[in-house]
Amino acid sequence: MRLFLAILIGKTISFLTKTLKTGGGSAAPGYYALKIEPKLVEKLAKKIPTNVIITGTNGKTTTARLLAHLAKEAGLKVIRNSTGSNLERGIASSLISHFTFPTSYFQLGVWELDEAAFNSVAPKLKPDIVVFLNVFRDQLDRYGEVDSVISKWTKTLDKIDSKTTILINGDDLKLKSLKTIFDGKTETFGVEDYKIVGESLEQIGENHKLDFEAKNVKLDGLNGSHFILEIRNLKLEISLPIPGIYHIYDAVAALAAAHHLNLPTNQLASSLTHFSPAFGRVEKIKDGFIFLIKNPAGATQVFETIAPQIKPADRLLLALNDNFADGIDVSWIWDAAVEVLREKWIGKSVICSGSRANDVAVRLKYAGFDTKSILVEPDLEKAFSEARIGLKGTVYVLPTYTALLELQEILVENGLKKHYWKEEG
Amino acid sequence: MKLNIGYLYPDLMNIYGDTGNVITLQRRCQWRGIEVKIINISVGNYIPTSQVGTQIDLFFFGGGQDQSQNIVANDLGKSEKSKVIRQEVERGVPLLSICGGYQLLGEYYQPAIGPRLAGVGIFPAYTVASKQRMIGNIVIRIQNAELRMLEKLSSAEQDGNNNSAFDTLNSELFLVGFENHSGKTYLKKGARPLGRVIKGFGNNGEDKSEGCIYKNAIGCYMHGSLLPKNPDLADWLIKTALEVKYKKEIELKPLDDTLENAAHQSALQKFS
Repeated sequence: MRLFLAILIGKTISFLTKTLKTGGGSAAPGYYALKIEPKLVEKLAKKIPTNVIITGTNGKTTTARLLAHLAKEAGLKVIRNSTGSNLERGIASSLISHFTFPTSYFQLGVWELDEAAFNSVAPKLKPDIVVFLNVFRDQLDRYGEVDSVISKWTKTLDKIDSKTTILINGDDLKLKSLKTIFDGKTETFGVEDYKIVGESLEQIGENHKLDFEAKNVKLDGLNGSHFILEIRNLKLEISLPIPGIYHIYDAVAALAAAHHLNLPTNQLASSLTHFSPAFGRVEKIKDGFIFLIKNPAGATQVFETIAPQIKPADRLLLALNDNFADGIDVSWIWDAAVEVLREKWIGKSVICSGSRANDVAVRLKYAGFDTKSILVEPDLEKAFSEARIGLKGTVYVLPTYTALLELQEILVENGLKKHYWKEEG
Repeated sequence: MKLNIGYLYPDLMNIYGDTGNVITLQRRCQWRGIEVKIINISVGNYIPTSQVGTQIDLFFFGGGQDQSQNIVANDLGKSEKSKVIRQEVERGVPLLSICGGYQLLGEYYQPAIGPRLAGVGIFPAYTVASKQRMIGNIVIRIQNAELRMLEKLSSAEQDGNNNSAFDTLNSELFLVGFENHSGKTYLKKGARPLGRVIKGFGNNGEDKSEGCIYKNAIGCYMHGSLLPKNPDLADWLIKTALEVKYKKEIELKPLDDTLENAAHQSALQKFS
């Protein structure tokens, strides 16, 4: 009865927030429903035959979206928390809004959980597969230090059934301890000749054994990449329509999970060719691109991906907010390799926006950007229009999470796209 | 002129953008035509010596995770580094330490479980682990009187005069940053805090003190990064380092700090 009431309340709130346009309705319904029925997630997740959890600092949303895409293409009914709401209330919201009480018709749940939520929510979901993508320094004000993230994961794995399969990024040595402590099956994935060192991906000569490995990687600018995925004796030729080495990791993780779910292997490669990324993650807009940035590692990867593509008439807009969802500590911009962009930006203007626009401006200055080319405009709408006035090239917009949400509104108002919650999950 | 910055344990003690402080010192020297060399000092290295002490003119020591902090505490004691850094601070060499680095330069650190970690003993202060995580934006006020006292200490060593960058400030200086620690630091009697907390927790969240100053060594909990948004402090460190090195008064060429000051002001307005 409590469960029914919780779902009813949740659905009502979801309807209201959407109708009143106060937001995407992605967190509030779950928040209130959990107050009524704290066991909501356990109870509803039990009704889904197979659940996959994806956690890690970077790439959760893209990996979840990739896996859901592959599963849907294979004909499965998939439920997932789709708008980057990866705390328990986001999971609850998703379960509520998609559930037709009292039975479920979903065959697969794909759940992205942030580093901290993993510990409280993962045991409740009773996952069949858990994917550990990576662990970097993130919005540390919320998650604590990297060492403590790993040690908490280790403790949580104790509460996970040994029938579960754990997929670990074998190139992230910080994750190594997870492989040794888990009782059940563990397998590794990664990219040939790469290793994660500190905040960045480094190319290395040495080989180590991976169960799922991307080989012969060929990057194709902002169009994407091509590689061969080796699964033991099996070789799949993959064309990935999203750019950057970091997205290859997401794809290999999703393909590894898909393989374990016994999705038909011969379809995987062709399904991937028409994959479209989540909003803000390499989002193509009319005259530019949006790349979400949120921590040193992710931002550095974005800088490295776009730097080689920059042409003389291009513009850059960086938007740094310090709301809770962004992380209230903006220190991380000093750990991101902003220097990667500098040479490409000599003589071109850069617009700094968001609630901490001034902090970005200072970071750019100390990265060697010419102060005359730095424009500070905290108001994102004004900054975005400034960036597009007389634009002859491409505008690269790099927002933090809440700036990205604001930007979506601005794009909608300007008729450049529809609301993100109206997009297909 | 040339400035050697000794970056203590950059591989182990660099968290929450602490590296931004070193970038800032380096750039602000370069923009003035002062040559900078960054000397990384970590486990297995020693601090290069010179006739007067070491080749380091300015030390930086950032924060780290617990595990790294154990390794570093161990290495400081085992190697000669602890003794050498103490001697250099006595000589007047400026030092900036943040969070974990600050804790390790105190007398000791008492973890929640296990024995005390001995500190370098520069700051008359000790740190005790707590269950409270002190996280958030922090604003502190530095009274000029406190800084003048600091100046007197350093200039006595140098036989120089008392002029300092801070003397040009009419009344007081504010520092803005971001803190994230669970260790509570308590200053012993006679220890001089860096400033008074206007917003945030500071040393321990109890007595409104933040940081500690001994001679020209500064310890504090302020990430952010600290120096990019507080260029006056960055310049004070550079100036003091050069004055100790060249044994004469140094006038730093003024820089255009429009962007830095805007970041400082907006943080100040937003958080205090």
